[in-house]
Amino acid sequence: MTLIAVRGAPRVNPVVRRLAGHVVRGLVMIWVVTTISFVIIRNIPGNPVLGQYETLIEKGMSPDEAQRATAALYGFLPTGSLWEQYTGYMKALLHLDLGQSLSTPGTEVVTLLGSAAKWTVLPVLGGTLLSFVLGVTLGVYAGIKRSGKLGDLLSISGSLLHGVPQYVIGLLVLAIFTTLWPILPAGGPVDVEFVPGFNAGYLASLIQHATLPVLTYALASYGGWVLAMKSSVATVLGDDFILAAELRGLSRGVLFRYIARNAILPLFTILALSLGMLFGGAIFIERIFNYPGLGLLLVNSIGARDYALMGGTFLVTTVAIIIANIAADLLYAVIDPRVRTGGTA
Amino acid sequence: MITISHRAGETPRPDSHSASGLIAGPGATTAPGVRVRDLTVVYKTPLGELPALGGVSLTIDPGTITGIVGESGSGKSTLALSLLNAVQPPGRIAGGSVEIDGLGNVVDLHGDRLRQARGRHLGYVFQAAQNSLNPLKTVGKQLLDLGRSHGVEDRRALVRDAKSLLERMGLDGARVLDSHQHELSGGMRQRVGIMLALVLNAQLVILDEPTTALDMITQATILRIIREVHKERGLTTLMVTHDIGVAAEVTDRLAVMYGGRVVEHGPTMEVLGAPSHPYTQGLIRAIPRLSGDIEQARALPGRPPTLGTLPASGCVFQERCPLRMDICATVEPPPVIEDGRTVACHAVERSRHTAQREEHP
Amino acid sequence: MTVTAILPGGGGQGSRRASLRRNFWRGVGRVLRRKPSRILGVAIVALFAAMALVGPMLYPAHLPRDDNALYAAPSLAHPFGTDFEGTDVLALVVTGARYVILTGLVTAVITVALGTVLGLLAGFHRGRWDTVLMRITDLQLTIPGLPLLLVLSTVWKFQGPLEMGLVLGLLGWGGIARAVRSQTLSLRERGFIEAARGLGLSTTHIIGRELLPSMAPYIAMNMLIAVTGAIYAQVGLFFLGVLPFDSNNWGVMLNLAVFGGGALTSAAALPYLLAPLLAILLLTLGIVLIVDAMDEIFNPRLREE
Repeated sequence: MTLIAVRGAPRVNPVVRRLAGHVVRGLVMIWVVTTISFVIIRNIPGNPVLGQYETLIEKGMSPDEAQRATAALYGFLPTGSLWEQYTGYMKALLHLDLGQSLSTPGTEVVTLLGSAAKWTVLPVLGGTLLSFVLGVTLGVYAGIKRSGKLGDLLSISGSLLHGVPQYVIGLLVLAIFTTLWPILPAGGPVDVEFVPGFNAGYLASLIQHATLPVLTYALASYGGWVLAMKSSVATVLGDDFILAAELRGLSRGVLFRYIARNAILPLFTILALSLGMLFGGAIFIERIFNYPGLGLLLVNSIGARDYALMGGTFLVTTVAIIIANIAADLLYAVIDPRVRTGGTA
Repeated sequence: MITISHRAGETPRPDSHSASGLIAGPGATTAPGVRVRDLTVVYKTPLGELPALGGVSLTIDPGTITGIVGESGSGKSTLALSLLNAVQPPGRIAGGSVEIDGLGNVVDLHGDRLRQARGRHLGYVFQAAQNSLNPLKTVGKQLLDLGRSHGVEDRRALVRDAKSLLERMGLDGARVLDSHQHELSGGMRQRVGIMLALVLNAQLVILDEPTTALDMITQATILRIIREVHKERGLTTLMVTHDIGVAAEVTDRLAVMYGGRVVEHGPTMEVLGAPSHPYTQGLIRAIPRLSGDIEQARALPGRPPTLGTLPASGCVFQERCPLRMDICATVEPPPVIEDGRTVACHAVERSRHTAQREEHP
Repeated sequence: MTVTAILPGGGGQGSRRASLRRNFWRGVGRVLRRKPSRILGVAIVALFAAMALVGPMLYPAHLPRDDNALYAAPSLAHPFGTDFEGTDVLALVVTGARYVILTGLVTAVITVALGTVLGLLAGFHRGRWDTVLMRITDLQLTIPGLPLLLVLSTVWKFQGPLEMGLVLGLLGWGGIARAVRSQTLSLRERGFIEAARGLGLSTTHIIGRELLPSMAPYIAMNMLIAVTGAIYAQVGLFFLGVLPFDSNNWGVMLNLAVFGGGALTSAAALPYLLAPLLAILLLTLGIVLIVDAMDEIFNPRLREE
């Protein structure tokens, strides 16, 4: 679909064109998500926005002050027409104003999101990288030795790990390493007795606490890589150029590189989807390991009925996925010469 | 090796060259001969192992261009791959031998020795419609991969050879080496394929449908290149094609395949001018002539056999044959060599006997 | 499928179809026999289906509690021990199966119906329809499902398995729509539709009698995956505790075990946590084995060489 667009306008750099298309689609996506958030917050049973406004007036605030205070909390005015509320909400968003948190009064939602993001992004990236390297390597093997015992074992175990939801893996990991064989801490990002900073005790504690979440991310995504790589390798093995390379007497090493490099390409698009899925999984994994990332923030904001925080977290998660999608697609364009030069072959 | 020319009494076309003429030419001493004996290739299917080649014997003289023609499924591509011992699973070579001068029996080659033989001694050129190049690498990088795989030390010489080959074929060598597959047209890709097959000085070149899917003009160019390069480098060339016109234009000798057997083999002009086997006769009758009535072109009745529909015994062509006799259903006709032509047909054999008896009563 | 097989009213049509079907089942039998583990997969899924059907009938409506045996270790009477109230864990798993599996089925039906219809429409009509439908599909696939579910749970109290299935189904059709569309397009490319058009067959006939049957196995496979996906999502929501605990099911068990019962603080209480996990693992294994077999039936390229 993008390729056709490229063919239509050969003068524009295809990568730039691709990027432009993605940005436009991404913006539409963000608009849809923010609208969903607005509609949901607006329709919450009991109308908490109006409720907040009335409480403040009861407390003796003037209607004007109460208006402003409530608007600061939710991002839109408690009174006024639906359209006014909607445009107000959107305007605030354009200024990156997501309102204030109810559960931690006086704190901007943006601040909370910023501090939570690092606890999600680092473990997710670490786990993904780990599983990608492992899964792709073993997937090549499973793809080439499809009929062997080990190949079978790799595919079945891959399918199983891929099929099982993250919370099952997380809970099993938790049960094994904290209850049955307690060698690692069960929850939290770091032990409280250490002073945050660049000191050995703090860093060691940090790593200790991150081990189980990262392990869970890795296990949860590893199977997907094995399976994707296996089927990609199977496809590439059927390609003519592999037989051609074989008949030209290319060495095993070269042949292996031809297979692996061609097979790994389509995986970069899956990378985007998997990052998205991992953000979803972060909710379970952070809840299980009590890890203060975006997922736990979302669950807690729902528990506390902190709607501004909830909408903000949802928005940030979606934006992250959209950005990951664009990044992966650009990466693909950079690696695949056919896209880079605008070819359609 | 001495080859008997089968062109006695025939005027050679200006662009063709007899095998004996090449012996004097440069490099002719290295052109290898090929002797295929009783080659059997079977494919594993849910119905058991079915033969794709049933005891094929074929001698390819050094320095010739031999064409292999047949319908799809006749086993011609399988035969071509067998020369490199590269029959793809689920197929396998079940018996017979492929002797190539300088290499020995290819069927017995394994591992690194087989790999070294491919590319260095045996060049293989794919169908033009197939993408025989790695889409992610430039032609030049793939050339270097080829050199590295075959232990070529002098990379500059390799690149130089490749460039001169490409330029010989009318391409801008430097530009092509710098291109990816998708930046080349079908005809250019095919020339790159020929270059990669020849750049390590392979003396036996196998072309599998080299002009299929090319337009007529490009096809003519490629055929001319094949002829010229064959002559200049003193090669032994084997060309698989389903196009009798192409075969007539390029080849010295022609083998006709049907149902996994070589049913007729001989000098191209003789095979096409005076076909002996009823299948070859039918095949040639099916070609519409440019001059002449289209009504005269008659399609062969029936369908070509597939792996599963081959007759269990007797001649593979019996079901479609106009000259069928009782013996055809039970005994497979052996290939009989006479005057440099090989034919496997009971009817031809019988009429020959009758003719002999009439001549010498 | 050959063109002769699709001529309406043809005398040999019925028997042709029947023999096609027979060949298909023979193929299924062969694939299953080739790896015995696949028969195990069928057995496992059958076991869970039976659990959902008759499970709740095997036990009284209110499971008995034994105050003397809170968090009892596994024994002959309680193979997986008891929970914090002294209820048999195995009984909880068996009776809890119906809720989750029912939701899974409802979700799968909605997902498959919506996804197939939209995918067919997009692939069949192409052009503007296709663009619009695929943009919506993209949107649906990009918005993260689980966070959206959590957010939705604040305005919508998914009550009962049917309502739950409806929501999950409405959120999950994107993948199938896209897959069905690409299948339709590939059938189209093979001249399938043009050939049928040429024979003067109506659009409904082409879609209903030609396209759908050839995609049926593919859709069935996706349906199986959709069932498990829905089961996991819903168990996950209960586990997170964002849904009202209106009945006993695996998700509620997980939640109570981890956050309520402290199954992680003492090894003795672990079976209470492990039992529903084991049920999910077993179900996954069964589905994986079946999908593996289906893959080989419908995707010959993966077949061994």
